[in-house]
Amino acid sequence: MVGATEAVELNRLENQVDNGGGGDWEYLCLVRKFKVRRSDKVLKHGLSILNDSRKRSKLGGEEWTLYEQVAIAAMDCQRIDIAKDCVKVLQKQFPESVRVGRLEGMLVEAKGSYEDADNIYESLLEDNPLDQVIHKRRIAMSKAQGNISEAITRLNKYLEIFMADHDAWRELAEIYVSLQMYKQAAFCYEELILCQPSVPLYHLAYADVLYTIGGQENLQTAKKYYASTIDLTGGKNTRALYGICLSSSAIGQLTKGRKEKEGTELQSLAATALEKDYKKRSPNKLPLLTATLKNLKL
Amino acid sequence: MGGELKYEIGQNAYIKLVLHALKHKTSSVNGILVGRVGKDDVIEISDSIPLSHSQIGLLPALELALIQIEEHYGSQGMSVVGYYHGNERYDDAELGNVAKRIGDHIHKYFPQAVVILLDNKKLEALPKGKGLSPVVEFYTKDASKTWRQGGGSDGGGRLTIREPSSNIVLLDYISSEKWKEVVDFDDHLDDISKDWLNPGMFK
Repeated sequence: MVGATEAVELNRLENQVDNGGGGDWEYLCLVRKFKVRRSDKVLKHGLSILNDSRKRSKLGGEEWTLYEQVAIAAMDCQRIDIAKDCVKVLQKQFPESVRVGRLEGMLVEAKGSYEDADNIYESLLEDNPLDQVIHKRRIAMSKAQGNISEAITRLNKYLEIFMADHDAWRELAEIYVSLQMYKQAAFCYEELILCQPSVPLYHLAYADVLYTIGGQENLQTAKKYYASTIDLTGGKNTRALYGICLSSSAIGQLTKGRKEKEGTELQSLAATALEKDYKKRSPNKLPLLTATLKNLKL
Repeated sequence: MGGELKYEIGQNAYIKLVLHALKHKTSSVNGILVGRVGKDDVIEISDSIPLSHSQIGLLPALELALIQIEEHYGSQGMSVVGYYHGNERYDDAELGNVAKRIGDHIHKYFPQAVVILLDNKKLEALPKGKGLSPVVEFYTKDASKTWRQGGGSDGGGRLTIREPSSNIVLLDYISSEKWKEVVDFDDHLDDISKDWLNPGMFK
Protein backbone atom coordinates (compact mmCIF):
# COMPACT_ATOMS: atom_id res chain seq x y z
CA MET A 1 0.00 0.00 0.00
CA VAL A 2 1.37 3.33 -1.05
CA GLY A 3 -0.04 6.66 -0.03
CA ALA A 4 -0.78 9.40 -2.51
CA THR A 5 2.31 11.50 -1.79
CA GLU A 6 4.62 8.49 -2.03
CA ALA A 7 3.02 7.52 -5.31
CA VAL A 8 3.66 10.99 -6.72
CA GLU A 9 7.30 10.83 -5.69
CA LEU A 10 7.70 7.36 -7.15
CA ASN A 11 6.11 8.31 -10.46
CA ARG A 12 8.18 11.47 -10.71
CA LEU A 13 11.37 9.49 -10.19
CA GLU A 14 10.25 6.81 -12.60
CA ASN A 15 9.68 9.42 -15.26
CA GLN A 16 13.08 10.93 -14.63
CA VAL A 17 14.81 7.55 -14.85
CA ASP A 18 12.88 6.57 -17.96
CA ASN A 19 14.07 9.71 -19.68
CA GLY A 20 17.67 9.13 -18.75
CA GLY A 21 17.72 11.79 -16.04
CA GLY A 22 19.60 9.67 -13.53
CA GLY A 23 18.54 8.50 -10.09
CA ASP A 24 18.26 4.87 -11.14
CA TRP A 25 19.48 3.49 -7.85
CA GLU A 26 17.26 5.80 -5.81
CA TYR A 27 14.31 4.68 -7.88
CA LEU A 28 15.08 1.01 -7.33
CA CYS A 29 15.41 1.61 -3.59
CA LEU A 30 12.06 3.33 -3.54
CA VAL A 31 10.42 0.45 -5.38
CA ARG A 32 11.78 -1.90 -2.71
CA LYS A 33 10.78 0.36 0.13
CA PHE A 34 7.20 0.78 -1.05
CA LYS A 35 7.01 -2.85 -2.16
CA VAL A 36 5.41 -1.89 -5.47
CA ARG A 37 5.38 -4.14 -8.47
CA ARG A 38 7.15 -2.40 -11.36
CA SER A 39 8.94 -5.42 -12.69
CA ASP A 40 9.48 -4.20 -16.24
CA LYS A 41 11.10 -0.99 -15.04
CA VAL A 42 13.15 -2.71 -12.35
CA LEU A 43 14.42 -5.18 -14.89
CA LYS A 44 15.42 -2.50 -17.36
CA HIS A 45 17.07 -0.06 -15.00
CA GLY A 46 18.44 -2.64 -12.58
CA LEU A 47 20.08 -4.52 -15.38
CA SER A 48 21.72 -1.40 -16.75
CA ILE A 49 23.44 -0.92 -13.38
CA LEU A 50 24.41 -4.58 -13.08
CA ASN A 51 25.91 -4.58 -16.58
CA ASP A 52 28.05 -1.56 -15.78
CA SER A 53 30.87 -2.73 -13.52
CA ARG A 54 31.73 0.83 -12.47
CA LYS A 55 28.19 1.62 -11.35
CA ARG A 56 27.87 -1.81 -9.79
CA SER A 57 30.96 -1.58 -7.63
CA LYS A 58 29.78 1.78 -6.33
CA LEU A 59 26.91 0.03 -4.61
CA GLY A 60 29.20 -1.92 -2.28
CA GLY A 61 27.27 -4.52 -0.30
CA GLU A 62 24.00 -3.35 -1.80
CA GLU A 63 25.08 -4.97 -5.04
CA TRP A 64 23.65 -8.30 -3.85
CA THR A 65 20.35 -6.72 -2.93
CA LEU A 66 20.11 -5.46 -6.48
CA TYR A 67 20.88 -8.90 -7.90
CA GLU A 68 18.01 -10.25 -5.83
CA GLN A 69 15.67 -7.47 -6.90
CA VAL A 70 16.48 -7.89 -10.58
CA ALA A 71 16.18 -11.68 -10.33
CA ILE A 72 12.63 -11.43 -9.01
CA ALA A 73 11.70 -8.77 -11.56
CA ALA A 74 13.08 -10.93 -14.36
CA MET A 75 11.00 -13.89 -13.17
CA ASP A 76 7.93 -11.70 -13.20
CA CYS A 77 8.69 -10.65 -16.79
CA GLN A 78 9.34 -14.25 -17.81
CA ARG A 79 13.00 -13.49 -18.57
CA ILE A 80 14.14 -16.73 -17.02
CA ASP A 81 17.60 -16.43 -18.62
CA ILE A 82 18.37 -13.21 -16.77
CA ALA A 83 16.87 -14.46 -13.52
CA LYS A 84 19.01 -17.57 -13.75
CA ASP A 85 22.19 -15.54 -14.18
CA CYS A 86 21.37 -13.38 -11.17
CA VAL A 87 20.57 -16.35 -8.96
CA LYS A 88 23.82 -18.02 -10.04
CA VAL A 89 25.86 -15.03 -8.96
CA LEU A 90 24.12 -15.02 -5.60
CA GLN A 91 24.58 -18.76 -5.13
CA LYS A 92 28.30 -18.36 -5.63
CA GLN A 93 28.46 -15.53 -3.13
CA PHE A 94 26.18 -17.06 -0.51
CA PRO A 95 26.27 -20.83 -0.94
CA GLU A 96 24.42 -21.74 2.28
CA SER A 97 21.87 -18.94 2.32
CA VAL A 98 18.17 -19.64 2.84
CA ARG A 99 17.36 -16.36 1.15
CA VAL A 100 19.11 -17.53 -2.00
CA GLY A 101 17.45 -20.90 -1.57
CA ARG A 102 14.09 -19.16 -1.76
CA LEU A 103 15.16 -17.52 -5.01
CA GLU A 104 16.06 -20.92 -6.44
CA GLY A 105 12.60 -22.12 -5.54
CA MET A 106 11.05 -19.08 -7.16
CA LEU A 107 13.08 -19.62 -10.29
CA VAL A 108 11.75 -23.15 -10.63
CA GLU A 109 8.30 -21.76 -9.91
CA ALA A 110 8.66 -19.14 -12.64
CA LYS A 111 9.39 -21.89 -15.12
CA GLY A 112 6.05 -23.41 -14.18
CA SER A 113 7.44 -26.53 -12.47
CA TYR A 114 5.26 -26.13 -9.43
CA GLU A 115 5.84 -29.59 -8.05
CA ASP A 116 9.62 -29.21 -8.08
CA ALA A 117 9.34 -25.77 -6.54
CA ASP A 118 7.13 -27.15 -3.79
CA ASN A 119 9.77 -29.79 -3.02
CA ILE A 120 12.46 -27.13 -2.75
CA TYR A 121 10.28 -25.07 -0.43
CA GLU A 122 9.42 -28.06 1.71
CA SER A 123 13.02 -28.99 2.22
CA LEU A 124 13.82 -25.38 3.13
CA LEU A 125 10.96 -25.41 5.62
CA GLU A 126 12.36 -28.49 7.34
CA ASP A 127 15.30 -26.42 8.54
CA ASN A 128 13.34 -23.18 8.95
CA PRO A 129 9.76 -24.06 9.78
CA LEU A 130 8.94 -20.45 10.62
CA ASP A 131 10.10 -18.83 7.38
CA GLN A 132 7.12 -16.66 6.51
CA VAL A 133 8.20 -15.91 2.98
CA ILE A 134 8.39 -19.56 2.05
CA HIS A 135 4.98 -20.25 3.53
CA LYS A 136 3.62 -17.38 1.51
CA ARG A 137 5.27 -18.61 -1.68
CA ARG A 138 3.49 -21.92 -1.27
CA ILE A 139 0.16 -20.14 -0.80
CA ALA A 140 0.84 -17.99 -3.86
CA MET A 141 1.66 -21.11 -5.82
CA SER A 142 -1.70 -22.67 -5.04
CA LYS A 143 -3.29 -19.48 -6.24
CA ALA A 144 -1.22 -19.38 -9.40
CA GLN A 145 -2.36 -22.86 -10.27
CA GLY A 146 -5.96 -21.89 -9.79
CA ASN A 147 -6.28 -24.16 -6.76
CA ILE A 148 -8.09 -21.61 -4.63
CA SER A 149 -9.37 -24.05 -2.02
CA GLU A 150 -5.81 -25.21 -1.34
CA ALA A 151 -4.71 -21.58 -1.09
CA ILE A 152 -7.42 -21.01 1.52
CA THR A 153 -6.41 -24.07 3.52
CA ARG A 154 -2.76 -23.05 3.45
CA LEU A 155 -3.55 -19.46 4.36
CA ASN A 156 -5.67 -20.55 7.31
CA LYS A 157 -2.89 -22.82 8.51
CA TYR A 158 -0.42 -19.98 8.12
CA LEU A 159 -2.65 -17.66 10.12
CA GLU A 160 -2.82 -20.17 12.95
CA ILE A 161 0.89 -19.61 13.40
CA PHE A 162 1.29 -16.00 12.29
CA MET A 163 -1.88 -14.53 13.68
CA ALA A 164 -0.59 -10.96 13.58
CA ASP A 165 0.10 -10.90 9.85
CA HIS A 166 -2.39 -8.29 8.67
CA ASP A 167 -1.60 -8.64 5.01
CA ALA A 168 -2.35 -12.33 5.18
CA TRP A 169 -5.74 -11.71 6.79
CA ARG A 170 -6.48 -9.20 4.08
CA GLU A 171 -5.44 -11.59 1.37
CA LEU A 172 -7.72 -14.25 2.86
CA ALA A 173 -10.59 -11.78 3.04
CA GLU A 174 -10.13 -10.82 -0.59
CA ILE A 175 -10.03 -14.43 -1.71
CA TYR A 176 -13.28 -15.07 0.17
CA VAL A 177 -14.86 -12.04 -1.48
CA SER A 178 -13.80 -13.28 -4.91
CA LEU A 179 -15.55 -16.57 -4.13
CA GLN A 180 -18.56 -14.70 -2.77
CA MET A 181 -18.01 -16.26 0.66
CA TYR A 182 -18.97 -13.01 2.32
CA LYS A 183 -19.51 -14.30 5.86
CA GLN A 184 -16.00 -15.69 5.96
CA ALA A 185 -14.64 -12.46 4.52
CA ALA A 186 -16.49 -10.50 7.20
CA PHE A 187 -14.84 -12.64 9.87
CA CYS A 188 -11.38 -11.75 8.50
CA TYR A 189 -12.16 -8.06 8.59
CA GLU A 190 -13.49 -8.34 12.14
CA GLU A 191 -10.18 -9.89 13.07
CA LEU A 192 -8.32 -7.02 11.36
CA ILE A 193 -10.41 -4.34 13.05
CA LEU A 194 -9.76 -5.95 16.43
CA CYS A 195 -6.01 -5.95 15.80
CA GLN A 196 -5.78 -2.48 14.29
CA PRO A 197 -8.88 -0.53 15.23
CA SER A 198 -7.66 2.74 13.78
CA VAL A 199 -7.12 1.65 10.17
CA PRO A 200 -10.03 3.11 8.17
CA LEU A 201 -9.48 0.72 5.28
CA TYR A 202 -10.61 -2.26 7.37
CA HIS A 203 -13.71 -0.48 8.60
CA LEU A 204 -14.62 0.41 5.04
CA ALA A 205 -14.00 -3.07 3.67
CA TYR A 206 -16.01 -4.61 6.51
CA ALA A 207 -18.90 -2.26 5.80
CA ASP A 208 -18.75 -3.08 2.09
CA VAL A 209 -18.92 -6.81 2.83
CA LEU A 210 -21.86 -6.39 5.20
CA TYR A 211 -23.66 -4.22 2.67
CA THR A 212 -23.12 -6.92 0.06
CA ILE A 213 -24.59 -9.58 2.34
CA GLY A 214 -27.60 -7.34 2.92
CA GLY A 215 -30.51 -7.67 5.34
CA GLN A 216 -31.58 -5.03 7.76
CA GLU A 217 -29.24 -5.91 10.59
CA ASN A 218 -26.16 -6.10 8.36
CA LEU A 219 -27.09 -2.86 6.66
CA GLN A 220 -27.39 -1.10 10.01
CA THR A 221 -23.97 -2.38 11.03
CA ALA A 222 -22.54 -1.47 7.63
CA LYS A 223 -23.78 2.06 8.12
CA LYS A 224 -22.05 2.26 11.51
CA TYR A 225 -18.76 1.16 10.01
CA TYR A 226 -19.09 3.58 7.13
CA ALA A 227 -19.60 6.22 9.79
CA SER A 228 -16.49 5.12 11.68
CA THR A 229 -14.53 5.24 8.41
CA ILE A 230 -15.64 8.82 7.93
CA ASP A 231 -14.64 9.54 11.49
CA LEU A 232 -11.18 8.02 11.03
CA THR A 233 -10.53 9.81 7.74
CA GLY A 234 -11.80 13.22 8.79
CA GLY A 235 -14.68 13.01 6.33
CA LYS A 236 -12.39 12.58 3.35
CA ASN A 237 -13.41 9.13 2.21
CA THR A 238 -15.72 9.25 -0.80
CA ARG A 239 -16.53 5.54 -0.64
CA ALA A 240 -17.67 5.79 2.96
CA LEU A 241 -19.83 8.85 2.25
CA TYR A 242 -21.48 7.03 -0.62
CA GLY A 243 -21.75 3.99 1.63
CA ILE A 244 -23.84 5.92 4.13
CA CYS A 245 -26.18 7.00 1.33
CA LEU A 246 -26.45 3.51 -0.16
CA SER A 247 -27.07 1.75 3.13
CA SER A 248 -29.56 4.36 4.31
CA SER A 249 -31.45 3.99 1.06
CA ALA A 250 -31.42 0.19 1.30
CA ILE A 251 -32.61 0.31 4.91
CA GLY A 252 -35.35 2.71 3.84
CA GLN A 253 -36.53 0.24 1.22
CA LEU A 254 -36.58 -2.63 3.68
CA THR A 255 -38.49 -0.70 6.30
CA LYS A 256 -40.81 0.60 3.56
CA GLY A 257 -40.19 4.21 4.29
CA ARG A 258 -40.95 3.98 7.98
CA LYS A 259 -38.63 6.76 8.98
CA GLU A 260 -36.00 5.79 11.45
CA LYS A 261 -35.38 8.42 14.00
CA GLU A 262 -31.64 7.98 14.21
CA GLY A 263 -29.57 8.25 11.09
CA THR A 264 -31.65 10.54 8.92
CA GLU A 265 -29.39 13.36 9.89
CA LEU A 266 -26.31 11.28 9.11
CA GLN A 267 -27.35 10.53 5.56
CA SER A 268 -28.18 14.11 4.70
CA LEU A 269 -24.84 15.14 6.16
CA ALA A 270 -23.09 12.57 3.99
CA ALA A 271 -24.99 13.75 0.92
CA THR A 272 -24.07 17.35 1.63
CA ALA A 273 -20.42 16.46 2.13
CA LEU A 274 -20.41 14.64 -1.21
CA GLU A 275 -22.04 17.56 -2.99
CA LYS A 276 -19.55 19.98 -1.52
CA ASP A 277 -16.61 17.82 -2.49
CA TYR A 278 -17.85 17.27 -6.06
CA LYS A 279 -18.53 20.97 -6.47
CA LYS A 280 -14.95 21.66 -5.59
CA ARG A 281 -13.03 18.85 -7.21
CA SER A 282 -15.23 17.36 -9.88
CA PRO A 283 -17.82 19.95 -10.93
CA ASN A 284 -18.66 18.26 -14.23
CA LYS A 285 -19.81 15.16 -12.37
CA LEU A 286 -22.01 17.11 -9.98
CA PRO A 287 -25.22 16.57 -12.02
CA LEU A 288 -24.59 12.82 -11.93
CA LEU A 289 -24.10 12.94 -8.19
CA THR A 290 -27.31 14.88 -7.74
CA ALA A 291 -29.14 12.36 -9.90
CA THR A 292 -27.64 9.50 -7.90
CA LEU A 293 -28.73 10.97 -4.60
CA LYS A 294 -32.17 11.53 -6.03
CA ASN A 295 -32.25 7.96 -7.23
CA LEU A 296 -31.43 6.84 -3.69
CA LYS A 297 -34.27 9.08 -2.44
CA LEU A 298 -32.05 11.18 -0.28
CA MET B 1 -32.89 -16.96 -28.87
CA GLY B 2 -29.13 -17.08 -28.57
CA GLY B 3 -28.45 -18.43 -32.02
CA GLU B 4 -29.17 -15.29 -33.97
CA LEU B 5 -27.79 -12.63 -31.68
CA LYS B 6 -25.37 -10.29 -33.36
CA TYR B 7 -23.15 -7.88 -31.50
CA GLU B 8 -21.03 -5.13 -32.94
CA ILE B 9 -18.54 -3.39 -30.70
CA GLY B 10 -17.16 0.05 -31.51
CA GLN B 11 -13.43 0.56 -31.71
CA ASN B 12 -13.17 2.87 -28.73
CA ALA B 13 -15.25 0.61 -26.50
CA TYR B 14 -13.15 -2.36 -27.50
CA ILE B 15 -9.78 -0.69 -27.10
CA LYS B 16 -10.70 0.86 -23.78
CA LEU B 17 -11.59 -2.45 -22.20
CA VAL B 18 -8.42 -4.15 -23.39
CA LEU B 19 -6.27 -1.25 -22.16
CA HIS B 20 -8.05 -1.35 -18.81
CA ALA B 21 -7.04 -4.97 -18.37
CA LEU B 22 -3.47 -4.16 -19.43
CA LYS B 23 -3.20 -1.40 -16.88
CA HIS B 24 -3.98 -3.83 -14.08
CA LYS B 25 -2.04 -6.85 -15.20
CA THR B 26 -2.05 -8.55 -11.83
CA SER B 27 -5.68 -8.26 -10.86
CA SER B 28 -9.12 -8.96 -12.21
CA VAL B 29 -10.82 -6.07 -13.94
CA ASN B 30 -14.40 -5.46 -14.98
CA GLY B 31 -16.61 -2.93 -16.62
CA ILE B 32 -19.93 -2.16 -18.21
CA LEU B 33 -20.90 -2.12 -21.89
CA VAL B 34 -23.43 0.39 -23.11
CA GLY B 35 -25.15 0.77 -26.45
CA ARG B 36 -28.44 0.25 -28.21
CA VAL B 37 -30.27 -2.12 -30.48
CA GLY B 38 -29.59 -1.00 -34.03
CA LYS B 39 -31.00 -2.00 -37.38
CA ASP B 40 -31.50 -5.70 -38.16
CA ASP B 41 -31.53 -6.22 -34.40
CA VAL B 42 -27.76 -5.91 -34.22
CA ILE B 43 -26.78 -4.89 -30.72
CA GLU B 44 -24.36 -2.03 -31.04
CA ILE B 45 -21.91 -1.69 -28.17
CA SER B 46 -20.89 1.95 -28.40
CA ASP B 47 -18.91 2.43 -25.25
CA SER B 48 -17.30 0.59 -22.38
CA ILE B 49 -16.92 1.92 -18.87
CA PRO B 50 -14.05 0.56 -16.78
CA LEU B 51 -15.30 -0.18 -13.27
CA SER B 52 -12.96 -1.96 -10.95
CA HIS B 53 -9.58 -3.51 -10.45
CA SER B 54 -9.99 -4.70 -6.88
CA GLN B 55 -12.58 -6.45 -4.73
CA ILE B 56 -14.83 -7.12 -7.67
CA GLY B 57 -17.24 -9.23 -5.64
CA LEU B 58 -18.50 -6.30 -3.57
CA LEU B 59 -21.74 -4.52 -4.29
CA PRO B 60 -21.53 -0.84 -3.25
CA ALA B 61 -19.23 0.45 -5.99
CA LEU B 62 -21.03 -1.61 -8.63
CA GLU B 63 -24.44 -0.26 -7.62
CA LEU B 64 -23.20 3.30 -7.65
CA ALA B 65 -21.56 2.90 -11.01
CA LEU B 66 -24.68 1.38 -12.54
CA ILE B 67 -26.85 4.25 -11.30
CA GLN B 68 -24.47 6.85 -12.70
CA ILE B 69 -23.88 5.04 -15.97
CA GLU B 70 -27.59 4.67 -16.61
CA GLU B 71 -28.11 8.29 -15.78
CA HIS B 72 -25.34 9.51 -18.06
CA TYR B 73 -25.94 7.28 -21.07
CA GLY B 74 -29.71 7.24 -20.72
CA SER B 75 -29.79 10.86 -21.75
CA GLN B 76 -27.96 9.85 -24.95
CA GLY B 77 -30.47 7.14 -25.75
CA MET B 78 -28.16 4.33 -24.72
CA SER B 79 -28.51 1.72 -22.05
CA VAL B 80 -26.50 -0.99 -20.37
CA VAL B 81 -26.22 -3.91 -22.78
CA GLY B 82 -23.51 -6.01 -21.21
CA TYR B 83 -20.54 -6.53 -18.98
CA TYR B 84 -16.88 -7.26 -19.48
CA HIS B 85 -14.41 -9.09 -17.31
CA GLY B 86 -10.70 -9.83 -17.32
CA ASN B 87 -9.53 -12.68 -15.10
CA GLU B 88 -6.74 -12.35 -12.58
CA ARG B 89 -4.64 -15.25 -13.82
CA TYR B 90 -3.20 -15.43 -17.32
CA ASP B 91 -4.24 -19.02 -17.95
CA ASP B 92 -7.71 -18.72 -16.47
CA ALA B 93 -10.08 -18.70 -19.44
CA GLU B 94 -13.24 -19.46 -17.52
CA LEU B 95 -16.14 -17.16 -16.90
CA GLY B 96 -16.26 -16.93 -13.11
CA ASN B 97 -19.24 -16.81 -10.80
CA VAL B 98 -19.01 -13.12 -10.00
CA ALA B 99 -19.02 -12.29 -13.71
CA LYS B 100 -22.01 -14.55 -14.25
CA ARG B 101 -23.94 -12.98 -11.42
CA ILE B 102 -23.34 -9.45 -12.63
CA GLY B 103 -24.32 -10.69 -16.08
CA ASP B 104 -27.51 -12.16 -14.58
CA HIS B 105 -28.38 -8.83 -13.09
CA ILE B 106 -27.96 -6.99 -16.40
CA HIS B 107 -29.83 -9.75 -18.20
CA LYS B 108 -32.87 -9.04 -16.02
CA TYR B 109 -33.14 -5.59 -17.56
CA PHE B 110 -31.75 -6.34 -21.02
CA PRO B 111 -32.54 -9.89 -22.19
CA GLN B 112 -29.97 -9.86 -25.01
CA ALA B 113 -27.20 -8.95 -22.57
CA VAL B 114 -23.70 -10.04 -23.48
CA VAL B 115 -20.76 -10.85 -21.22
CA ILE B 116 -17.33 -10.35 -22.72
CA LEU B 117 -14.33 -12.15 -21.30
CA LEU B 118 -10.85 -11.03 -22.25
CA ASP B 119 -8.84 -13.80 -23.88
CA ASN B 120 -5.21 -13.52 -22.75
CA LYS B 121 -3.92 -16.05 -25.27
CA LYS B 122 -5.43 -14.16 -28.18
CA LEU B 123 -4.15 -10.89 -26.77
CA GLU B 124 -0.64 -12.29 -26.51
CA ALA B 125 -0.77 -13.55 -30.08
CA LEU B 126 -1.96 -10.20 -31.38
CA PRO B 127 1.42 -8.72 -32.36
CA LYS B 128 2.32 -11.87 -34.30
CA GLY B 129 -0.80 -12.25 -36.37
CA LYS B 130 -2.88 -9.94 -38.44
CA GLY B 131 -6.18 -11.07 -37.01
CA LEU B 132 -9.15 -8.79 -37.32
CA SER B 133 -11.30 -10.58 -34.78
CA PRO B 134 -11.54 -9.24 -31.23
CA VAL B 135 -9.21 -10.68 -28.59
CA VAL B 136 -12.17 -11.61 -26.41
CA GLU B 137 -14.68 -14.39 -25.94
CA PHE B 138 -18.32 -13.60 -25.46
CA TYR B 139 -21.17 -15.27 -23.66
CA THR B 140 -24.91 -14.99 -23.93
CA LYS B 141 -27.72 -16.58 -21.95
CA ASP B 142 -29.36 -19.49 -23.69
CA ALA B 143 -32.92 -20.75 -23.31
CA SER B 144 -31.97 -22.80 -20.26
CA LYS B 145 -30.75 -19.62 -18.56
CA THR B 146 -27.10 -20.60 -18.46
CA TRP B 147 -24.26 -18.51 -19.87
CA ARG B 148 -22.96 -20.09 -23.05
CA GLN B 149 -19.94 -19.16 -25.06
CA GLY B 150 -20.91 -17.77 -28.44
CA GLY B 151 -19.19 -17.61 -31.76
CA GLY B 152 -18.43 -21.32 -31.98
CA SER B 153 -19.05 -23.55 -34.96
CA ASP B 154 -22.50 -24.39 -33.59
CA GLY B 155 -23.58 -20.79 -34.03
CA GLY B 156 -24.40 -19.00 -30.81
CA GLY B 157 -24.32 -15.52 -32.31
CA ARG B 158 -21.36 -13.48 -33.34
CA LEU B 159 -19.36 -10.52 -32.13
CA THR B 160 -17.54 -8.25 -34.52
CA ILE B 161 -15.65 -5.00 -34.24
CA ARG B 162 -17.18 -2.15 -36.17
CA GLU B 163 -13.91 -0.76 -37.50
CA PRO B 164 -11.76 -3.45 -39.13
CA SER B 165 -8.48 -1.77 -38.29
CA SER B 166 -9.12 -1.78 -34.53
CA ASN B 167 -6.49 -4.35 -33.66
CA ILE B 168 -3.82 -2.32 -35.42
CA VAL B 169 -4.82 0.80 -33.51
CA LEU B 170 -4.85 -1.25 -30.33
CA LEU B 171 -1.31 -2.49 -30.91
CA ASP B 172 -0.19 1.04 -31.47
CA TYR B 173 -1.74 2.14 -28.18
CA ILE B 174 -0.17 -0.78 -26.34
CA SER B 175 3.32 0.09 -27.55
CA SER B 176 2.86 3.74 -26.61
CA GLU B 177 1.68 2.66 -23.14
CA LYS B 178 -1.64 4.40 -23.53
CA TRP B 179 -3.13 2.04 -20.97
CA LYS B 180 -1.61 4.24 -18.29
CA GLU B 181 -4.33 6.80 -19.01
CA VAL B 182 -7.32 4.57 -18.37
CA VAL B 183 -9.35 5.72 -15.38
CA ASP B 184 -11.89 3.36 -13.86
CA PHE B 185 -14.68 3.93 -11.38
CA ASP B 186 -12.45 2.62 -8.60
CA ASP B 187 -9.92 5.35 -9.38
CA HIS B 188 -12.70 7.91 -9.34
CA LEU B 189 -13.84 6.84 -5.88
CA ASP B 190 -10.28 7.19 -4.63
CA ASP B 191 -9.93 10.62 -6.22
CA ILE B 192 -13.10 12.15 -7.60
CA SER B 193 -11.23 14.54 -9.86
CA LYS B 194 -10.40 11.53 -12.05
CA ASP B 195 -13.05 11.05 -14.71
CA TRP B 196 -14.27 7.49 -15.28
CA LEU B 197 -15.73 8.52 -18.64
CA ASN B 198 -12.18 8.94 -19.95
CA PRO B 199 -13.27 11.86 -22.12
CA GLY B 200 -9.88 12.81 -23.54
CA MET B 201 -8.71 9.33 -24.26
CA PHE B 202 -9.33 9.05 -27.99
CA LYS B 203 -8.83 12.63 -28.97
